[in-house]
Amino acid sequence: MKVSEATLVSPSTLDECLLLLNDQKHSVQLLAGGTDAVVRMKEGVWNPDTWINIKNLDALRYIEEVNHEIHIGALTSHTDLVESKLINERADVLAQAAKEIGAIQLQNMGTIGGNIATASPAGDTIPALFVLDAKIELRSLTDTRLIPIREIFTGPGRTVKKSDEIITKIIIRSQDEDEIGIFEKLGPRKAQSISIVNVAISLKMGEKPRECLEGKIAFGSVAPTIIRATKCEYMLKLNPLFDDVIHDIASAAWKEVMPISDVRASAKYRRNMASSLLERGLYRLMKRWEEQ
Amino acid sequence: MKTIRFTVNGNEVAVSSPPTKPLLDVLREELDLTGSKECCGKGECGSCTVMINGSSVCSCLVLVGQVENETVITAEGVGLAQNMDVLQQAFIDEGATQCGYCTPGFIVSAKSFLNQIEHVPTEEEVKTALGGNLCRCTGYTKIIKAVQSAAKLSITQQGVKN
Repeated sequence: MKVSEATLVSPSTLDECLLLLNDQKHSVQLLAGGTDAVVRMKEGVWNPDTWINIKNLDALRYIEEVNHEIHIGALTSHTDLVESKLINERADVLAQAAKEIGAIQLQNMGTIGGNIATASPAGDTIPALFVLDAKIELRSLTDTRLIPIREIFTGPGRTVKKSDEIITKIIIRSQDEDEIGIFEKLGPRKAQSISIVNVAISLKMGEKPRECLEGKIAFGSVAPTIIRATKCEYMLKLNPLFDDVIHDIASAAWKEVMPISDVRASAKYRRNMASSLLERGLYRLMKRWEEQ
Repeated sequence: MKTIRFTVNGNEVAVSSPPTKPLLDVLREELDLTGSKECCGKGECGSCTVMINGSSVCSCLVLVGQVENETVITAEGVGLAQNMDVLQQAFIDEGATQCGYCTPGFIVSAKSFLNQIEHVPTEEEVKTALGGNLCRCTGYTKIIKAVQSAAKLSITQQGVKN
């Protein structure tokens, strides 16, 4: 079927959208910001009978604090995240990651829900969502389920989301005063680039100098999906994070990642850069913590 | 085919088009607004940049059915030869355009950026704001200078008005 023969419907409510997704007679595809979906349409990879345009479903575009969590509507744009006071104060690592996505145009168009649904191993917000213990709400006409982010992805471009489901909400932990986070990315150029390696770090700091009580580290682009560096996370708690300790933790990252060689970088380069980015991130975080 | 209504550069338009046609193609083919250009077609080069409701986006990745009832501004809407915007005049004065293919995209991105700020941006700020636009001729230096001098000029003009 030609692209021009596909229909496009724009549901005005979530219920209407769920009904459309429930229709098993036609193939359907959700379309939000379009930064990935339209590229795939043009390449002929996605070729549904009907595109369900949810770009203007404003009921799914919000950021709010609920108890000790932050609820983010799936259609919240990356620009919304970058500009949100709440995200900058309580989930800084996510604001930084959103700022590193593509360029301004793509930040204005792309949505956090779309970034998850597309499931690129290089998606920039995803490592940040890993260290913020994100839970993803999936809704269908008959069911609502909440899936931890580590269980969402089943491989590059694949998630557990069923064809009749839509991502409606992302719930993340709101960071306390003693928690700090950072996102580091290596791309071929500063703007508009796909990550060669990226890393998100979130630390809970103690009262003694550079004492880390708990930490989470998530790498992107170095395995089929995002991975947590559990050995490095364990090492964070052993000793105060002075420069030599940071160096040792970063060296251990070399063994935790399982990158491939592709058009963007070789596996060996990715391993080395994973270590370097982690070292740089921890170093910058400690500087920031001491200056606070 | 479907009739899709939206506003372009202040004019309400109704186009008859498949709703899955990219906005860029509708602007160029149906509305004769050929300022916005197609280059990469996948959101990497910025030569198709337009504003939708004030935000800069790549019109090659927006389907026309998605802009129903929305407000689109293209480079033509920023200004034409007879009513040129300060920014466009600055591009000419600084020699910030050569072959011109990328220029309309740069104009829209820069205009959207300048609309959001009230100071003369640093070189670094301009680079971030225009990171999604590629130019193969100018080497960017003159483009960055043009954006800065346009900001300077609009601030002075506003000062005079006030």
